[in-house]
Amino acid sequence: MSVLPAWSAAFAADLTRVRALPLPDAREWAFGGSTGAGVAVAVVDSGVDADHPRVGAVAGSVAIEADPEAPQGWRAVEGPHEDVVGHGTACAGIIRSLAPDAEIHSVRVLGPQLKGRGLLFHAGIRWALEHGMAVANLSLSSKSEAMFAPLHEVADEAYFAGTLLVAAANNQPGPTYPSQYASVVSVAARPGADPWALAYNPRPPVEFGACGIDVDVAWGGGQSIVATGNSFAAPHVAGMAAVLLAKHPGLTPFQVKAVLQAVSDNAGEAGSAS
Amino acid sequence: MALEKDLSGSVAGVRALFGAAACSCALVDDEGSALTYVAADGEGSREILGVVLPVGRGIAGWAAMSGQPIAVRDVRADPRFARDVAESTHYIPTALLAAPMFDSQGEVLGVLSVLDPAVDESSDWTLAVLGTLASQVAALVEAVRRAPAAAADASRLEALGRRVLDAVEDYER
Repeated sequence: MSVLPAWSAAFAADLTRVRALPLPDAREWAFGGSTGAGVAVAVVDSGVDADHPRVGAVAGSVAIEADPEAPQGWRAVEGPHEDVVGHGTACAGIIRSLAPDAEIHSVRVLGPQLKGRGLLFHAGIRWALEHGMAVANLSLSSKSEAMFAPLHEVADEAYFAGTLLVAAANNQPGPTYPSQYASVVSVAARPGADPWALAYNPRPPVEFGACGIDVDVAWGGGQSIVATGNSFAAPHVAGMAAVLLAKHPGLTPFQVKAVLQAVSDNAGEAGSAS
Repeated sequence: MALEKDLSGSVAGVRALFGAAACSCALVDDEGSALTYVAADGEGSREILGVVLPVGRGIAGWAAMSGQPIAVRDVRADPRFARDVAESTHYIPTALLAAPMFDSQGEVLGVLSVLDPAVDESSDWTLAVLGTLASQVAALVEAVRRAPAAAADASRLEALGRRVLDAVEDYER
């Protein structure tokens, strides 16, 4: 019996081998020599501190804010903004460390007001796909039943539009969205310090495990902190996806997912010994 | 109030489970813009009770905003956090765990925080346990709000504690 949604347990020392596409030298094919140049990556979060030395330049910023007067209940405010907490900066710094030449766009959906957070989150994902983001990092989630269908719909739209959604799993009982959907790349934290380590979980819905425990991350005010959470695992995979897409432009989200599985540490013939 | 009394038992239990210096529970106000600390146990608990902080501030605020649990090894590295806490309580922790509490509709109703846990906070185990506890405490908040008298039953808290300990043992196996 297990009552805990301890997704990381799937990525413990004895990784189950999974059948993956038989790509010879998959990691070199996927990542070798690429810096993520030119790939647009949205960080849908609390904002990004563009002055943080671990983040570097931000290609664009937009804040999705509640607006009762607007037809959809929100407005998009383009232009520089600050990171209200520090978390988006942490995610951006991780992406930058793997994909130093990626174009990071801050899509701020978290603000000092919890009411309507699901609506703004949804709007942020929509903004990312409508503005041609190749990757969107979602280190946040919703458990709101009312948001299940809207988030599912926009996640599917993103999938078909070619915007890869990389979503952090949540360590709470019950489903969380959008990490639960098959159309996204869902990620949980996995032990280990290697930022490029990746494992595939043969027992989804959480599919990938990446570095997310005791990670030294950028934080607000130009600082850094050491933090643990699935929130920090997701941007590692977002960074890998950016590197992959810079080298192989035009791969669809399902192709990216297949390659990510193929480069996983436990890729191989299912049931094989090595 | 019945709610604060019940939550006091819960946070004391969570603090004991983690061997932590303190544990606190903050609830979101009706406007969704502030967190009010309504229960605490351990270091600085007297000072933190009743403190109101904007949702947009601090690591507990981020857990509420993002809906994600987080563990931070040295919160003092964030000067804004240290200032906020120093203004509220005499105890400034090193490590902090924070998990959002969801109501039955999946909306965030509060945050459960653990300060300086004795267990190794650098694992998925702690966040998984805290996330489970947070959901149980959230259920308690909802139950008390619906029927204050019926929910003030200490045996329910004991049952919660047993379930959590079972889950911990199961996870470790």
